[in-house]
Amino acid sequence: MKASFILAWRALVRSHVLTLLLVATALAHAFLPALVRSDGTSAGWREMFVRAVPGAAYVFIAVTILACACGFFAQERERFRLSLTVVRPASAFGVALGKWLALCAVAAVALVFSAAITAFRLSDAPRCLHHHSPALPPAAECARSALAAYLADPKTPEAVRRAPRAAVLSLLTNKELDRYDVVRSGESFAWPFDASLASEPGLAVRARFATQFEVRSPFAGEFAFGGRTAPVAHSTQSSIDVPLAAATNAPAGQASSATLDLVFKNTGREIVMLRPRRDLELLTPADAFCWNLARATLQMLSTMAILAAFGMFLSAAVSRPVALFTAIVAVIVTMMAPSVVAQFPDEMNTKFTERFGLAISRAICTVTSTVSESEPISDLATDTCIEWLALARSIAVNVFALPAALLAASAFIVRRKPLAENS
Amino acid sequence: MSAPVIEISGLRKTFRDFWFRPVAEAVNGIDLVVEKGDVFGLLGPNGSGKSTTIKMVLGLLAPTGGSVKIFGLPPRSRAARARLGYLPELSYLHPFLTARETVMYYAGLSDLDRRTAKARTAELIEQVGLAENANRPVGGFSKGMARRVAFASALVSRPELLILDEPTSGLDPIGTREVKELIRRLAADGLTILVTSHQLFDMQDVCSRVAILSHGKVVGSGRVEDIVAAAADKRHALEDYFVERLGIQ
Ligand SMILES: Nc1ncnc2c1ncn2[C@@H]1O[C@H](COP(=O)(O)OP(=O)(O)OP(=O)(O)O)[C@@H](O)[C@H]1O
Ligand SMILES: [Mg+2]
Repeated sequence: MKASFILAWRALVRSHVLTLLLVATALAHAFLPALVRSDGTSAGWREMFVRAVPGAAYVFIAVTILACACGFFAQERERFRLSLTVVRPASAFGVALGKWLALCAVAAVALVFSAAITAFRLSDAPRCLHHHSPALPPAAECARSALAAYLADPKTPEAVRRAPRAAVLSLLTNKELDRYDVVRSGESFAWPFDASLASEPGLAVRARFATQFEVRSPFAGEFAFGGRTAPVAHSTQSSIDVPLAAATNAPAGQASSATLDLVFKNTGREIVMLRPRRDLELLTPADAFCWNLARATLQMLSTMAILAAFGMFLSAAVSRPVALFTAIVAVIVTMMAPSVVAQFPDEMNTKFTERFGLAISRAICTVTSTVSESEPISDLATDTCIEWLALARSIAVNVFALPAALLAASAFIVRRKPLAENS
Repeated sequence: MSAPVIEISGLRKTFRDFWFRPVAEAVNGIDLVVEKGDVFGLLGPNGSGKSTTIKMVLGLLAPTGGSVKIFGLPPRSRAARARLGYLPELSYLHPFLTARETVMYYAGLSDLDRRTAKARTAELIEQVGLAENANRPVGGFSKGMARRVAFASALVSRPELLILDEPTSGLDPIGTREVKELIRRLAADGLTILVTSHQLFDMQDVCSRVAILSHGKVVGSGRVEDIVAAAADKRHALEDYFVERLGIQ
């Protein structure tokens, strides 16, 4: 393992892959900020900057790592060197592991370099924020009980009863996720939140109003949570953060239970619509931007780890161009699958072929969920704290479990596949 | 009695294309035994199946039929791999590594500890005459120099069995002589060597036993001593034997 790590590291360094990555990262940091346009606020500028500069560096590093990985075994085989390696007693898994570690090390150097420049540039960025959603039961659970209620109702049409259960459930789950709560003028509405948040300093409410139809009607009202209140009045921005300040006249709420209600009182003339699962969050300050940047870097590195392992697996099986093509298609499919699934909520009314495609997309989503769900760049850009638990999960899956399986598979293929030597 | 170093019986290899149609019967039923201490010459015209046989001995290709045993073990077993060294037909080196790093790399793949690997590398670099160029990238080496690096790499793990595929191809007369010298010295140290070549004149000097391959079959084999003893022209004994055996086919 050590020998193949050193070999691969030297290959990457002496063929100037590492230099290329560092130079490209430096160039991105030098020239891309000039292109950043913002909405005038410092948060807006920071968001655009993070997406444009470290974001571009991240994509470039990922593509380079994938391209290198796709050539690792294939090139060795095409240049007849693989036979010299496999006749040695070293285990093929160890050889694969060494190569993979070298790729990860190169990616780590480039990512840390990019993060260091970012940290220097954004040294005045505020703390990142924990996001807390309402304490509602999972959407799938709501969908199941809704379905049970439908089926128990004798008036439910026969077509619904005969429809495939999974399709109905996914339809109901999507409905639940997009469910609007309507607050009429002069009325109040309450959503449960974790009661322990009430004692958090720096608590704020984030609300997105009527984003689905882009209706930005003027509205006014007041949020109240555990003795703290926040007045809101807005007409232009679709998403606003309002700090909750201690108010002497507000009721302390039912602090004894596990949840505490966030109450919105609509004092304006318009109806206010909010999707509790999408539009409403409580924010609490987390740690410094630099820590979030460090976690984002680790999350990016874990994506590199899985990309490297995947590319190496392909290159063990097929030639470099085929591996590269397959890898690119796989990455595109991974990125597209979630939106394919999201855009087909009404599964019952689709043709068989469409359902087939949907089933495949859903399977891809399941397999690649840990990769596609981690969004270090957009979390960093929006000051969203990357939670340790999510980070640990993505490291466990993308750095340990999946690469171990992929490397074992490539070692197996390297040993079994006859070496395409024609001399 | 311990197992022979290499034992090949009924070995066959048919290359097939993508649709599984046979393209070439490269090896067509070979039986061979290489004993400890032999310098065994596998001789034959181009395309007679020498390299294919060697690759099956190394476990790089799976036989279509028959069996290969090295030290009584299957060639793909780790224990068998730990005891052999291989010099391929062409020296496929990593161009960005220096000569020393190349040898160290193969030492690392052979599970030598660092101290031993370093000492062994230095010794071999000296032995193959690369001391002055040890720290140059091998990408810029001439054919003969590259061959020396490959030789040192094959020997770094102190193998008991050395498999050489055309060790003298592309070498000048001096280089050829040095390789012959090296083979003789290694044989004197008790190494078993399997070597393929077209240079019958050279093989006569170094081999203790030979087998002649033609169209994937053994058409003649024997001890070089006996072949020379039976020949009219002692200097060209092996060449005459080779031509005679191929003539029969
Ligand atoms: N990978 C392969 N695919 C198809 N046919 C092959 C392959 N490798 C070898 N052959 C065929 O098998 C036969 C034996 O080839 P082999 O390389 O073993 O010959 P050789 O004795 O080493 O020849 P040379 O002296 O030229 O090195 C040849 O007809 C060759 O075309
Ligand atoms: Mg050959």
